[in-house]
Amino acid sequence: MGLYLDGFLIALKGAPVTIGVSLIAVALGVCLGLGIALMRLSKHWILKIPATIYVEIVRGTPIVVQAFIFAYGIPQLLQANGVPFKWDQLIIPAVIVCSLNSGAYVAEVIRSGLQAVDKGQMEAARSLGMSYTMSMRLIIIPQAFRIILPALGNEFVTLIKETSVLSFVGVVEIMRKGTLWNAATFETFPAYIGVACAYMVLTIPLSRLVNYVERRMAVDKKDDAPKLPIDKSEVAAEASLRKGMV
Amino acid sequence: MIEVKGLKKSFGDNLVLKGIDEIINDGEVVCVIGPSGSGKSTFLRCINMLEEPTAGTIHIDGVQVTIEHINETRKNMGMVFQNFNLFPHMSVLENITVAPIKVLGMKCHDAEVRAKDLLKKVGLEEKAEAFPSSLSGGQKQRVAIARALAMEPKIMLFDEPTSALDPEMVGEVLDVMKALAHSGMTMIIVTHEMGFAREVADRVLFMDDGYIVEQGSPEELFGNPKEVRTQAFLSKVL
Repeated sequence: MGLYLDGFLIALKGAPVTIGVSLIAVALGVCLGLGIALMRLSKHWILKIPATIYVEIVRGTPIVVQAFIFAYGIPQLLQANGVPFKWDQLIIPAVIVCSLNSGAYVAEVIRSGLQAVDKGQMEAARSLGMSYTMSMRLIIIPQAFRIILPALGNEFVTLIKETSVLSFVGVVEIMRKGTLWNAATFETFPAYIGVACAYMVLTIPLSRLVNYVERRMAVDKKDDAPKLPIDKSEVAAEASLRKGMV
Repeated sequence: MIEVKGLKKSFGDNLVLKGIDEIINDGEVVCVIGPSGSGKSTFLRCINMLEEPTAGTIHIDGVQVTIEHINETRKNMGMVFQNFNLFPHMSVLENITVAPIKVLGMKCHDAEVRAKDLLKKVGLEEKAEAFPSSLSGGQKQRVAIARALAMEPKIMLFDEPTSALDPEMVGEVLDVMKALAHSGMTMIIVTHEMGFAREVADRVLFMDDGYIVEQGSPEELFGNPKEVRTQAFLSKVL
C-alpha cells in the first residue's frame, strides 16, 4: 500500500504544472476561441476561411503531434535556417500548444453557443439602433456565455487530461513525474495507478462543479428559453466531439 | 412621412413582396391585415431593413433609408415583435435603459427616470427590477413597447404584437397601443385583431400574395370591401 501512496504523492507533485498549463491554456483558449468563433460566423470569407482552416487543422491532428512540432520541430526548422533558437523552457511551447489546441475546440463551443441565442435577440438589439458589434457585446455574447459555461467547464476538465501528452516532450507534469519515478524504481503499476489517482483528484471534483453549475443554470432560466435543452445538447455534443468527456 | 416606392423582396427564388408603393403620413395609424404568407411582416421588416429589400426605395422625411446609415434611422423607429424578444439576462429596467444609454449616450440616471415613467404608462412600474422570465406574455409585450418608446422614436412598427399572447392578455397590450395611437404616434401595425384595426386605424391595408390589394378607412374596408380577395379574407376572419 505504501508504494501506491508514494506513487500518488510523487505524481501529485506534478499537479501545479498540470493545473497551471491547463488554466493558462483554457484562459487563452477562450480569448482565442471567441475571436475564431466570431471570424467563423462572419460573412467575409477573408475572416471565415482562415478561422475554418485553423479549426480543421487543430481538430484533425493529435495534440501529441502538435506538441512535437512546437517543442522540437520549430526550433529545428529555425536552426536549419541559421537562426539560433531554443526554447528557454519546454513549458513555453507546452502552453502555446495547449492554448492553440484549446482555442480551436472552444471556438466550436462558442460558435454553437452564439448560434443557440435566439435570432430575435439580434433583431431586437439592432432595431433599437445598436450596431452589430454593440449587439454582440451587450446582448448576444453574455447570453451565449451562460449557455456554454458548462461546456467550457468540460473543456477545462478535458484539457487537464490532455496535458498528459506534454510528458512526451519533457514537461515535468503529473504524467512525467510518474514516468520518472517508474524509471527509477521499476514500480510500474503503483507509479501509473498513482498518476491515475492524481488526475482523478483534479478532474472529478471539477466535473462535479460543472454539473452543479449546469443544474443551477437550468433552474435559473427554465421558463424564458424553452429551446434551451436542445441548444444545450448541441453544445454538449460539440464539446464531446473531443474524446472522452468526464 | 414614410414613402415606399417599388418595394420588392425575394428570399431565394421566392418573391414575397412583388412591388409595394405606399405613403404613410406623420401621425397616421396604419393597420396591415391579410392572410399568412401575404408579405405583411416582410413589408414591415423592410421598412427598418431587418430584411434588406431586393428592389425599391424607402424614404423617411425625404431621406432614403440605406443599410449604411441604418443605425441612425432605427433610432427614430421603434419595433415591437411577435415574440417580445426581451433580453433575458437583463432586468426590466435594464432592458429599457440599455439602448438610450449605449446608443444615445444618455446618463444612467436620466435613462432610468425615463424608463420608470414609461413603465408607469404601460402599468408595470412595480416590475422594474423583475427579470423577463418572471413576467406573463402580456407584461413582456408591454415592457417591449416601453423599451422601444425609450428611444423616443417618431415611428413605431408592430409585428403581430398580440399573436403570441393568451387571449386574456391581448386586451392589456392593445390598450397600451390605443393610448399610443391617440398620442399622435405614427404607427404601422401588422395584426390579426380586426376589432382593434377597425377601432384604432386611420387606414387599413389589405395585403395578399405580395401586393397591397386594397386599402381604405376601416369603415370602407371592413364595411364595403371592393376586391374579391378582400371579401373572401374578411368573410373568413370576421
